[in-house]
Amino acid sequence: MIRAEHVSYSYHGAAQTVRDLSFHIEKGEFTAILGENGAGKTTAVKLIDGLLLPTSGRMLVNGLDTPKTRVSERARQVGYLFQNPDRQICKNTVREEIAFGLRAVWGKGEEEKINARTDELLDLFSFRGDEEPFSLSRGQRQQVALASTLAVKPAVLLLDEPTTGLDYRECTRIMEFIRALNEDEGTTVVMVCHDMEIVLDYARRALVMAGGALIGDGPVKEIFRDPALMERASLLPPQIVQIASSLGGEFARADDAETLSSMVARAAERRTV
Amino acid sequence: MTDLFQYVPGNSPLHRMNPVTKIFLTLCICVAAFLTDNLFFLLFLLAFDLLIGVVAGAARKAFTIFRGLVKVSLFLFVLQALFVRRGNRLFWIITDEGLLTAASVVLRLLVVCLPLALVLTVTQVSDIANAMVQVLHVPYAYAFTLTTAIRFIPQFMEEMSGIMEAQTARGVEFDSKNFVKKLGMLLPLCTPLLISSVRRTGATATAAEVRGFDLRTRTSGYKRYGFGLIDLAALIVSAALIAGAVLIS
Repeated sequence: MIRAEHVSYSYHGAAQTVRDLSFHIEKGEFTAILGENGAGKTTAVKLIDGLLLPTSGRMLVNGLDTPKTRVSERARQVGYLFQNPDRQICKNTVREEIAFGLRAVWGKGEEEKINARTDELLDLFSFRGDEEPFSLSRGQRQQVALASTLAVKPAVLLLDEPTTGLDYRECTRIMEFIRALNEDEGTTVVMVCHDMEIVLDYARRALVMAGGALIGDGPVKEIFRDPALMERASLLPPQIVQIASSLGGEFARADDAETLSSMVARAAERRTV
Repeated sequence: MTDLFQYVPGNSPLHRMNPVTKIFLTLCICVAAFLTDNLFFLLFLLAFDLLIGVVAGAARKAFTIFRGLVKVSLFLFVLQALFVRRGNRLFWIITDEGLLTAASVVLRLLVVCLPLALVLTVTQVSDIANAMVQVLHVPYAYAFTLTTAIRFIPQFMEEMSGIMEAQTARGVEFDSKNFVKKLGMLLPLCTPLLISSVRRTGATATAAEVRGFDLRTRTSGYKRYGFGLIDLAALIVSAALIAGAVLIS
């Protein structure tokens, strides 16, 4: 679905922001890109979308080389949710906002289809069509931006820190929508995220970046259990992984369903015995 | 593009000059450009602008701004040449007076815009505000308004490019090669740009208030802005430019 072949990129002749990036993401994967600020995560996502073109190497999305297709054309297949929803929202009502993206991609002659899809999304996100997007809360605006991104049913969804500035409830609501899309519709998700708990809860694969280079690629749990890799990327694994590692032994390889309370109960039980 | 109006640190004579003198010199260049119709004098003023850029150690930046302005100027030149019908017809609908007017309008635009951009390259915006308050007795609120507007230019441009990027990603054809089509698409951008600007204005006002904005007076500044020989030289040059413009026109 997404293939990066030795991709490098530098902004206006400056030092390379992304260096020799190679990876392959299959259809239906949920991948997180991790790394500290300035590691090149957003640049990598923009390279996938074609907003930036590689200075060397090739970035293929659905077999198409990014320089050969216009970004606006690729919007039929690739959806991009930005960190700041206010850059995406440009209409006076939620209905118009969702329809705007659909008109841009499907064309103005498809009004019936556009209206039907808009109604579907208004229902799904429980929005009133006549609400003013800019008077909504930050989390709701992010949901409006997500709704208009999802409207065209993209095969690939790119998320650049989608939960920044959201409270727990808003964050969970957004992420549950994305999980449902990924699991039910097979949408390929690539997410840049600084919240390791969210990464652990939702992503299945992680690409770890540092200094513009890819330094780790694997299942999220294995990545988090690699302290040397975490340190190189200046990251801290989620608390549950840290506690499990500290407890050692059988806990260090706790299974997917392990929660903090069950882990503590098991540790207490073992101590009693 | 966003760094075009940003301050470049340095120790050139222009960096050391009093900010008020720099503004005065800039204004004198502008006034001189509007006082004269003589194309050679306008060319001299343009060369003087570029020389200022070289002396300030910002030659590359000056020429980048110049190149950018030339693109706009060409458009303006064509419009002027087409619409000014006075004088003798040279070919098609183009007249000699039309060409002369177009050339002087374009040269004026270049002469006026260059030093305004360069003054921001050699002066920190906060110095402009403080010097205006200390030397010219401008109320701080007005100086702050002016400098905040200048300070927001790069942020505004960055925001604009971010919005265009976001809209392109959702299918709006900003990457189209059709200029007219692109122009029509700019309208929807006004909403997010306006909203973000208003939000930023509110945030800036709050930040200023909590840092004692109202308490600030003319004597609050720590840094003093004196006048030296370099300022005197700049004032003489300014007077000479005005006198030259009056005499030559």
